[in-house]
Amino acid sequence: MEEYDAVVVGAGPAGTTFAAEAASRGMSVVVIDKKKELGSPVRCGEGIGIDFSSGRKLELPRSCIASDIEGALMFSPNGKSIKLTTPQTKGHVLERKIFDKFLAMEAGRKGAHILPRTMATGLLKENGKIAGVKAVSFGEEIEFKAPLVVSAEGMEAKLAREAGIDALATLYDVDTCYEYEMVNVPCEPFIEIYFGSAAPRGYVWVFPKGKDVANVGIGVGGSSGADPKKCLDEWIARNPRMKKAEIIEVKAGIISVGAPVKKMVADNFMAVGTSAHQVDPVHGGGIALAMKAARIAAEVAAKAHSARDFSEKTLSAYETQWRAAESRKLEKRLLLRKVLEKLSDDDFNAVIGMIDSQDLEKLLSGDFKPIVTKVVAKRPSILKVATALLG
Amino acid sequence: MAVRVDGSKCVYCAGCVSVCPFLALTLNEVKIIVDEKKCTECGTCVKACPAKALSLPKKISG
Repeated sequence: MEEYDAVVVGAGPAGTTFAAEAASRGMSVVVIDKKKELGSPVRCGEGIGIDFSSGRKLELPRSCIASDIEGALMFSPNGKSIKLTTPQTKGHVLERKIFDKFLAMEAGRKGAHILPRTMATGLLKENGKIAGVKAVSFGEEIEFKAPLVVSAEGMEAKLAREAGIDALATLYDVDTCYEYEMVNVPCEPFIEIYFGSAAPRGYVWVFPKGKDVANVGIGVGGSSGADPKKCLDEWIARNPRMKKAEIIEVKAGIISVGAPVKKMVADNFMAVGTSAHQVDPVHGGGIALAMKAARIAAEVAAKAHSARDFSEKTLSAYETQWRAAESRKLEKRLLLRKVLEKLSDDDFNAVIGMIDSQDLEKLLSGDFKPIVTKVVAKRPSILKVATALLG
Repeated sequence: MAVRVDGSKCVYCAGCVSVCPFLALTLNEVKIIVDEKKCTECGTCVKACPAKALSLPKKISG
């Protein structure tokens, strides 16, 4: 048995950011992760906005960044595109294997104990209350006793569910994703998004990692019945630009594109990041949201630690602050996702044909009315699906 | 009986683990482990798997 002030399950960006912040506030923290190599296997498109550290200073070593992104290109099924070069579309394509290790090193430097090859098997309970985590570490059973357990488990969220958090993903509210990292893909420094029936209820993406290297991936709706690998292979096969592309790595995963969990804390328990479904419902990105949530959670945890009070009531300050910062934006994004998923190829062709980058910028920032008015004037049939955006 | 995992297709993404309503699946880094006592063969994981590596056992009728 080992004792800590907090045991964190999962060494992705949420877990290690929490650990670094909590350790620098004087808490003794252990981060456990079942993987032997943190950051691997990658289950992610690796794209991230430039403002991901939300104003805080986090200097990434250049090795964490595969490429700098100047903007985004959104394609309709007939091949027309809109180019976006707003501050929100500037960013990076990361090298997640190096990025995740860098964040773990930062946590270690701040004093957190990092333990790979250690798989949580269940919650440790004392008198019915959460009191730590049971695990298997390098083949040996072990107990980590702590008054606070932090789930940074990602989509699996098994401890979170055991703790009563509603983190079970439903097929309707997930995208299932398949992705190849490929060479011989000529790239400009723009992320590319392809809408339409090639990716039922999702999109195909090309995220450049260099001049001729890209993550080429697809997400399809979990309830669409589509086979993401098959859809991706077909998209690549009919794209002349991909003719010489070779697969260097295969990545896959599923991601929440629904609402965040209803409750992110319980007595002696917090869920941060994708474990709490803190993910953008339109693009499925979660790194920046996870890191921001982890910082808020660590601040609240440090106060709870000082007061020796890890009750749900005290910990809920994290959830209140997080929702105040993110909820409105994410609700609008969910609304937008639910409209996008109803558009046909003809709708996409019509919409992308009639709007400009300023319209699109407004749409993505949640200012729906001007664009819906404009589109419906020319294509009245869209009103039926777009009316939800006018509420 | 329980859901079957084709290890030659599985990419260890744990998508199946995330959607299993019965907490019957576990990813231990390089293998999906199925708890046969918990699996109800509901098929949710089969639909969620991006690699189509999961299948339900064939029912023997009669």
